[in-house]
Amino acid sequence: MSRRRILLGLAAALVSAPVLAQQAPAPVPGWAVGRPEGSTLAPHAARLTVTPPDQVPVGAIRLPPGFHAEVFAHGIPGVRAIAEGPNGTLFAGTRAIGRVYAITRNPDGTTRTRTLLQGLAQPSGLVMIGNSLYVFAVNRVLRYDNIEANLDNPPAPVDLTAAYGLPTEQEHGGNHHWKFATLGPDGRIYMNVGVNCNVCDTDRDKFALLVSFNPDGSGRRIEARGVRNSVGMAHHPVTRELWATNHGRDWAGNDTPEDSLLRVRRSGEDFGFPYCLGSWADPQYNQGRNCSEFSQPAALLGPHTAVLGMRFYTGTMFPEQYRNQIFIARRGSWNRERLSGYDVVVAHLDAQGNVTRVEDFLTGLRDDANQRFADRPAEVHVLRDGSMLVSGEQMGAIYRITYRQ
Amino acid sequence: MRLAGLLAAALFGAAAAFSAAAQDVARGADLAAHRCANCHGADGRSQTEGIPSLAGQPALFITTQMILFREGLRHVPAMLAFAQGLPDREIEDLAAYFASLPPGPPDDRRARDPALFAAGQALIGPRNCAVCHTPTLAGREQVPRIVGQREDFLARTMAEYRDGERVGADSQMNGAVVGLSDAQIAALAHYLSQRD
Repeated sequence: MSRRRILLGLAAALVSAPVLAQQAPAPVPGWAVGRPEGSTLAPHAARLTVTPPDQVPVGAIRLPPGFHAEVFAHGIPGVRAIAEGPNGTLFAGTRAIGRVYAITRNPDGTTRTRTLLQGLAQPSGLVMIGNSLYVFAVNRVLRYDNIEANLDNPPAPVDLTAAYGLPTEQEHGGNHHWKFATLGPDGRIYMNVGVNCNVCDTDRDKFALLVSFNPDGSGRRIEARGVRNSVGMAHHPVTRELWATNHGRDWAGNDTPEDSLLRVRRSGEDFGFPYCLGSWADPQYNQGRNCSEFSQPAALLGPHTAVLGMRFYTGTMFPEQYRNQIFIARRGSWNRERLSGYDVVVAHLDAQGNVTRVEDFLTGLRDDANQRFADRPAEVHVLRDGSMLVSGEQMGAIYRITYRQ
Repeated sequence: MRLAGLLAAALFGAAAAFSAAAQDVARGADLAAHRCANCHGADGRSQTEGIPSLAGQPALFITTQMILFREGLRHVPAMLAFAQGLPDREIEDLAAYFASLPPGPPDDRRARDPALFAAGQALIGPRNCAVCHTPTLAGREQVPRIVGQREDFLARTMAEYRDGERVGADSQMNGAVVGLSDAQIAALAHYLSQRD
C-alpha cells in the first residue's frame, strides 16, 4: 500500500519536475482552480470519527405525510455507497477513511456493523455480483469472493486492477478520481471516470466519461462522454436505460451551472463537457460550440447541489406514485454562498420517461437561517421490504425510511 | 410542531458544534501528558528535532492525521504504537487539547537569516500556500498551521512530499511542492518557522 503510493508520487514528480522552470508557478489545488480573489468558499471537511448516537440528526429529518425516518445504523464514519449481498448484508464504501463496512441485521431488527476492509484509497465504488464483492478504490479493483460467509475474516482479494486499467489518482491530478459503480441489467459494471480538473480541455476518451466493463475488466465501452463527474447511476427497471447524476463545474457563479440528471439513450452519447451543460455555454471553455449539438440533460437539479446516489424505487411499501421514480441524494453545496441541497429529491417520469417534475422528499438537514447543515445524504438504496436507506456521510449514519398509511 | 422545531434546533446545534462539544480538553490534556508530551513537548511545542509542534493546530487536522495513522493510511513508524486501537473519542479529546494550546516556536529557534527569510517569503505567493493554509498560514479545519513550526520538520516534510515519500489525505501537497529545489525548501522552511 505505502509502496504503491510512494511509487505513484514518484512517478508524478518525475513526470512533472523536469518541465518546470525554477520559478514556474505551482499548480493551485484542483478544487481552487478558478477561485476568485478573496473568496473563502472551500469544500467542507469530512468527519472521520464516530458521531455519538444522540447526535445523529434523525430528528431533524422531514418527509411527506406517512413517511418515517429512523436510524438504521450508526458509528460508521464516512459512509457513502451501499451494495447489498444475496443474504442481505449491506456493504458500505467510504472515501477518506479508506474503509468498507459490512452491516448485518440482528434477529431483533437492530444492526451490527463490522469494518470489513481498511487502509484502501477511497474505496467508494462497490458492486455485488453473486457472492462476490467488487471494490473500486480509485484505479484499484479488488474482488472478494464468497464474502458474506467470511465477514469476520475476509479472503485475500483477486486483483483486477491491471485488467480494468483505470486512470490513477496522479493521472487525475487529484481531481474526481474516486468511483461510483453499479451493476447493469446486462451483467456489466458501470462507473464514472471523472474529469481530471475543475474545468479544462481534457482527453475526452479518457476522462469525463461513463464507462462499462465486463466484470473481469475486459470489454471497456464508453457509455457517455462529456459527463464532468457522475457519482450516482442506475438503470431504469423497465426500459433498462442508464441514468446518471452529474456534477456541474465550480467557480462559474452561485447559480450556474446546475447539477443534472442524465438519461443515456444509446451508448456513447455526448453530454457536452467542457463546452456546454444543457443550453448553458461554459463562459471559458465553450470554444464556439453550439450547445444544441450535445445530448440534453433529462433534468436540472440545482446549482452546486452535489447530486450523488440515485435509485429507481422498485419496492411496494411506498405509495404507487413513487413506483419506478428516481430518488436522488443531494449531498449539498460548498461552491455557493448560500447552501443548496443536503436533501433527497424525487424526479417523476411520465410514460415516455420524460422528467415531469422534481420534488423534495427528505428535507430538514439544511438550516437556511444559520447556513449550517446537519448531515449530507450520499446514497439511496431500496431494501427488499420496500423501505429505503439513505446514507449520511457527514454523521456516519444510515437512515431507514418507511411508509405507513 | 414547536417541539419538533426545538428538537431540530438542538440537533443542528449539536452537529455544528461537534468539534468542541463532544471533546474534553481536560481529558485530552491527561492523555497527552502520558502519550504525547515526551516527543511533542509538554506544552505542545516540540523541542525535539524532526518532531512537529502540535500546539494551536486545528482540531480537525489532529483528528484527521491520527485517524490516518490508525487506519494505516499514513505511515510513520514512531506513531503507530500510539495510534493503534485509539478510540475516536480519545483522538477527539487529544485534538481539542492541542487546539486549545497557544502556538509558539520552539525554545531553540535559530536567529533569523534575513536573506533566507526573504527568499522563502517570495515563494509563498507563487506556491499558492494561502489557498489552503489561509492567508495567515495558521490553517483551518483539516489543513495544518505551518507558521511557527519547527524548521527541520517543515523542510523534511516538504522534501518527503516532493520526493513522493509522503501523501496526505489527498495528493494536493505533492502537487504544491513539485519541482522545488532543496534550497527553495530550506528558504520556505526558514520563513515559515520564523513567522508567528
